[in-house]
Amino acid sequence: MRWNLIPVYVVLVITSALIVAPLVLTVFAALKSPEQFLYKPWIPPRPPVFENFVSAWYKARFNIYFKNSVIISTIDALAMISIATMAAYAFVFIRFPGSNLLLPLFLAGLMVPVTALILPLYAIMNSFDLINTHFGVILADLSLALPFFIFIGRAYFLSIPSELRDAARVDGAGEFRIFWNVMFPLAKPVIITTALLEFLWSWNDLLLRLVFLTKDSLRTLTVGLLFFQGLHTRDVGGNAAAALILAGPIIVLFLIFQRQFIQGLTKGAIK
Amino acid sequence: MYITFVVYPTLELFQFSFMSWDGVSPTKLWVGLANYRELLFSEKIFWQSFKNTVFWAAITLFLNVFIGLVLASLIAEPIRGRVYFQLAYFLPVVQAGIVTAIIWRWMYQPDGVINSFLRTVGLGMLTRGWLGDFKLALPALAIAGSWMSLGVSIVIFSGGIQNIDPALYESAKVDGANRIQLFWYITIPSLRHVIATVLILTIIGSFKTFDIVWATTQGGPIRATELLATYMYKRGMLEVRYGYGCAVAVFLMIVVTLFSTLYLLQQREKV
Repeated sequence: MRWNLIPVYVVLVITSALIVAPLVLTVFAALKSPEQFLYKPWIPPRPPVFENFVSAWYKARFNIYFKNSVIISTIDALAMISIATMAAYAFVFIRFPGSNLLLPLFLAGLMVPVTALILPLYAIMNSFDLINTHFGVILADLSLALPFFIFIGRAYFLSIPSELRDAARVDGAGEFRIFWNVMFPLAKPVIITTALLEFLWSWNDLLLRLVFLTKDSLRTLTVGLLFFQGLHTRDVGGNAAAALILAGPIIVLFLIFQRQFIQGLTKGAIK
Repeated sequence: MYITFVVYPTLELFQFSFMSWDGVSPTKLWVGLANYRELLFSEKIFWQSFKNTVFWAAITLFLNVFIGLVLASLIAEPIRGRVYFQLAYFLPVVQAGIVTAIIWRWMYQPDGVINSFLRTVGLGMLTRGWLGDFKLALPALAIAGSWMSLGVSIVIFSGGIQNIDPALYESAKVDGANRIQLFWYITIPSLRHVIATVLILTIIGSFKTFDIVWATTQGGPIRATELLATYMYKRGMLEVRYGYGCAVAVFLMIVVTLFSTLYLLQQREKV
């Protein structure tokens, strides 16, 4: 132990505690009954009660929102894996007509902010009758995030030596078999990152879902939470529990796949 | 698919911004530059929300760059448990904007966490309704925004610090420099480009901020926290002045694209 490092530890411990504190206090609040709110917020719940979660889940219909979020985000993640890796593979290895034109178009898409596109997207969805469908949300999610995932997928495939592909070709493998049997297994790290990030972004998105899903039975957790907190402003425990239903799965995923999330989100900070 | 949901809406956005339309009815009226004229010359709220957005960017910038740099350089010291600190700083990054909003609204409530804390430590005279205060609401929410993005800055800065030649530090230590001098004269100058990266990313993030503000103050009190994204949403979706909303979005898009281009150019230069 080096003594001159003690101030470093002190600063790091205090700042990290301050940063995690809001989340910890939220967990405390979610587990307290209304009577326990006489206590100060930093006192742990004793005993912890789960009535806030139960009432958010059943009474406030978070069970339905949860199901909708799971459906949309899972399909988003799975579809993104197949579309983005195939597209990235094609951009790196296959010379197809127009590829020189399409690539810059996709890279330009990296710079388009979703926030600015929401109004015309609404009009287009409306003309396709896709408002109030999960399908519409999924289509928009996939299209808007595609440039980023092609970008990281392409960077990854570029790092794979092309001799590997030539060798498979000599062995008589067709384009799709090369992709499926050689490249897909090799690309596992980038595929995992793609699935995790797309799931996270899809799970956490509010604006797109707020605009496209107006029917209560179709809403996701983010939209459900927005309306819930609008109706129950004073119910701290209820809000905390509702927020944790949304945040819980993400926190668990983050703790399992911390490295992928940290690297991926740092690259994806532009999104 | 990409063409339909990203390229086409981008073009539509520009087209609609010259129109007066409620988004659904078949009557679209070509109004030329009227939307822009109103936006730029006669609508004070637009400039107010632009100013607020810039102010938001300035606050998050200060926090992300300054605190981010200090924490990143402390984490780079030979300490134990580095992973846990990094994990703590990054945990808020994976939270949804709406979750952040709910947590921080509770922090700032008149009977919320911060005021309870102030009362307990005997600083009761400092308590106030943070988000109801015309002057304090914007900085208070920007701190919550910074809470969500600080982790990314720390990781980017950490990456930069690892690339600094250790010999620089060694020779300065031989000359008797202390930790603060090392930070000021070696770390900061060596990280010029990395600081620029964080700067650009923070500005982009500010112009896209919607969730945190929408779920807490909806732009109030008296538009003190109105940002460009919430302003666009109000005009375009709630007041169904679709063309006008698009004009706001075009403005937003131009700013974000400008900074994204800078970012991509800078990344390319580095490679």
